[in-house]
Amino acid sequence: MRWAALALIAALLAILPWVGDDVMIQYGINALLVATLAQAWNIIGGFTGYASFGNSVFYGLGTYGTAIAMVQFGLPFGVGLALGGALGMLCALLLGLPILRLRGHYFAIATLGLSATMAAIVANLDIAGRNIGLILPLTRNDAMFYEASLALLAATTLTVIWLALSRFGMGLIAIREDEDAAAVMGVNTTFYKVVALVLSSFFTAVAGGIHAYWITFIDPASAFDLTLNVRMVIMAVFGGPGTVFGPLIGSFILSSVYDWLASSISTAAALLFGLVIVIAVVFMPRGLIDLGAGLRRVGWRYLLQNIRLHRI
Amino acid sequence: MLLAQILTNGLLLGGLYGLMALGMALIWGVLNIVNLAHGALIMLGGYAVYFMFTAAGIDPFAALPVAMLVMFAFGYALQRFLLNLIVRSAPLNTLLITFGLDVVLTYLAQLAFSADFRAINPSYAGANVTVLGITIPLARLAAFAVALVLAAALWLLLERTRLGRAIRATAQNLVAARLYGVDPRQLYAVTFGIGAALAGAAGGLYGVVSQLTPYVGTNLTVKSFVIAIMGGLENPFGILAGGLVIGVAEALAALYLGPTFTDAISFGLLVVILVARPVRSLKGA
Amino acid sequence: MKQAIAGVSVVAAIALSAAAAPAQTKTITLGASVQITGAMANPGHYYRDAYQLAVDQINAKGGIAVGDQRYQFALKVLDNQSDVNLGVRQYVQLITSDKVDFLLGPFNSNDALDDSSVAEKYEIPFVQGGGASSQIFARGYKYVFGTLPPADDYFGSTIEMLGKLEPKPKTVALLSADDSFDVSVATGTRKLLAKPGLTTVFDEQYAEHNSDFTTLLSLLKSKAPDVLLWGGHEPEALNFIRQAKSLDFSPKDLASFTVGVPTADFRKALGKDADYTFGMTVWLPSATLKDDWFGDAEAFAKQFQEKYGYPPDYHVASAVADVETYAKAIAKAGSLDRQKVRAAIAAIDFDCLYARVRYAENGQIDLPQTAIQIQNGELVPVYTDHFLNKPQYPVPPWNARH
Repeated sequence: MRWAALALIAALLAILPWVGDDVMIQYGINALLVATLAQAWNIIGGFTGYASFGNSVFYGLGTYGTAIAMVQFGLPFGVGLALGGALGMLCALLLGLPILRLRGHYFAIATLGLSATMAAIVANLDIAGRNIGLILPLTRNDAMFYEASLALLAATTLTVIWLALSRFGMGLIAIREDEDAAAVMGVNTTFYKVVALVLSSFFTAVAGGIHAYWITFIDPASAFDLTLNVRMVIMAVFGGPGTVFGPLIGSFILSSVYDWLASSISTAAALLFGLVIVIAVVFMPRGLIDLGAGLRRVGWRYLLQNIRLHRI
Repeated sequence: MLLAQILTNGLLLGGLYGLMALGMALIWGVLNIVNLAHGALIMLGGYAVYFMFTAAGIDPFAALPVAMLVMFAFGYALQRFLLNLIVRSAPLNTLLITFGLDVVLTYLAQLAFSADFRAINPSYAGANVTVLGITIPLARLAAFAVALVLAAALWLLLERTRLGRAIRATAQNLVAARLYGVDPRQLYAVTFGIGAALAGAAGGLYGVVSQLTPYVGTNLTVKSFVIAIMGGLENPFGILAGGLVIGVAEALAALYLGPTFTDAISFGLLVVILVARPVRSLKGA
Repeated sequence: MKQAIAGVSVVAAIALSAAAAPAQTKTITLGASVQITGAMANPGHYYRDAYQLAVDQINAKGGIAVGDQRYQFALKVLDNQSDVNLGVRQYVQLITSDKVDFLLGPFNSNDALDDSSVAEKYEIPFVQGGGASSQIFARGYKYVFGTLPPADDYFGSTIEMLGKLEPKPKTVALLSADDSFDVSVATGTRKLLAKPGLTTVFDEQYAEHNSDFTTLLSLLKSKAPDVLLWGGHEPEALNFIRQAKSLDFSPKDLASFTVGVPTADFRKALGKDADYTFGMTVWLPSATLKDDWFGDAEAFAKQFQEKYGYPPDYHVASAVADVETYAKAIAKAGSLDRQKVRAAIAAIDFDCLYARVRYAENGQIDLPQTAIQIQNGELVPVYTDHFLNKPQYPVPPWNARH
């Protein structure tokens, strides 16, 4: 029954390019890509409890991998995406090992530093067009981008569903709850953490690759955009980190609100977004899904309960 | 010679960097809050000094203590009435809320002050003195001196006063500190206030050596982390030293690798330091 | 249950995003996504101000005649908060959801580069006055036009002037940022510098948002060039000049900056330190530039200053020229059909308060830069292809200035 409902929603979304108008497709592509980022973050941040503030490094590597493949070597889009994804995974593997030894704030800062360093390095590489960036060939095929983004989101969500049901996923949750206890119980924490990071990096990187070809122009500042990190984290956290559908709900709601604000009151959109974040963290730090469950359990006292739990 | 000049430049810049990071490190070490709105606090302190200078003609260095008081009050209120509500939440949540605060503060600043450049330009802003062939900008030298004084003041506060002992005790063991009569809500708010005051002083100096817009905060926040990590969170002089290291590293990177490599070096250093050495905080281990 | 929530959220999200198309009765809507807030708000918001004044003035003077119908201009400007990616999405929204008729541009080459791809994709004319980089016009796009002259040529008249100054400068230092616009400037300048008599002793690039120039200044000081040609954005120019003063560096003969000098708040921030600085502008509010709607450039400048409280610079004039391009081209084409208007723009040739507007094959205007200097707080035009006023030359070192 649940699978049928899911399949129905997926099918409805899939036919959008043919029934919806141009603006819906645009919002759709953007919303799907951001949802992918939030869901991919969920793997390392929500399930494993390692809140990365630098997933933009994978996004940027995917962006550049795809762009370089297509612009400098003339390879087709699919190959470019594969290369971008591979580049992201390689980074996760090599740099993940040392960085995953850190915890809490330090892990977050290290990932942020990693992203900033990578952006600064790429801005000096000739093959990447230095700080000017690269221009990809123009293509008028939004339906293709839409379907690709939808397929990517589906793949990411299926992976998260697998995590929620599998032993591997249980291992990640154990690490999140109490890493030392998990280690004592025989979980190979290093292996699990690195795999989680690699999975997260792959989906994030491919999202970057799709975005690059769609937008046709990339440069270090937008590819490794640090505010993207906060946006993907906030969407996952707003919806409910560590759940399957939390990041999806959080990101769809927040991106539509943000885009709608940006198109009507535009200037104040940033302000309202900031306020939403502050209010959400104070009143519903465990996300919408928990809010839903909490409201059913104890009504509006849920909001105050949260404050009482977390204040000094 | 050239290298000596460049090293001097790096050291002077590093002093200001250290001062910027001082407030962030204090708040991080004691409250375990990584304040992503730190740069916004620096920016606000800068505007405070700017308006005192242009409206009332008060010399920026004389205006610093006033700006620090204003920022102390602001920081105290922020912690007491907002951040205290989430302080025992997951680290991720404090990062998010301070990010949200940064967005809100920056927006309000732009509404209030517009995006125009504001430079604090007292008559001595460009003055310099040449010693042994090295040109030393006086404003930067003065900023370096202020950084030293404030770092020393903070050290004295933490080591030699009752308040400082209470702060350190709370950082190490909240429960025990409570048992000894510390009111954590008050203490946290005071600590954040001190951090904000230090940020405000850095902002005033920043406005003299560079210029202010509502958007300068972001880069300064990032710089401050790098230095806070570099210097460790325990000792104000350590932070200053961290600032000096980064200042000199950037200057040398620009000289030997090229001016487009400064960011790569500072952030690269951040990652390397984080990974290579265990970080201690005021909490210990 | 969770699926239902997800499903409803998705549908709600899509419903929220669909906006009603505005009704169009005898209005032509121009759309743009501009940096009204964010790091580029200066000079980003100049564009919004300019577009608004131009549209209001044209409407006040009767609007535009298309065939035998009279139309008024309407303006829809969104704030991209200096975020390039948001800007792209806003342009798509302007085209597909708000259904604007034609597009105006943002400030900055990087943004214009991105946004122009959207215009080309949807085949809508995009007349922008904020991007000068040759990259924008090197892609063979048909729908993109620009009223800022090629970045490559920014230092053209300055370098020509160098050859006519006494004492003649011999060594040149080139320092530019690494973004699209400044790289174009540097590439073009290098070609111009390959003239006999000028040796390049320093040629470096710095990172776009760099705020500390002390190392570069110390290096420059050690090379002691006669002339410094500097490229970058305003905040960097401000930092550079203030740090140059504190490190006591001044080129022997003169320093020229690609930005800042013509802009009022730049001069205000520097105060006396701005004196003697050279720069360039493609426009000055001179009464000799006649305009169908504002009278002439001088009258326009007065009107603009009265309305907005600050004097206009070339960014503003360039933006006004964009709006006027549409007014002229639509009237000439006699229709609102995008292909016809595009063709009219490509062939247009008219005089306005900005300059004589006509677009080259690649869509970019070509205008000479006027070398200018700040003398005693005033902006003085010095050289176009001949001397207009006497330059204060050679520029005295810092301690010899007032």
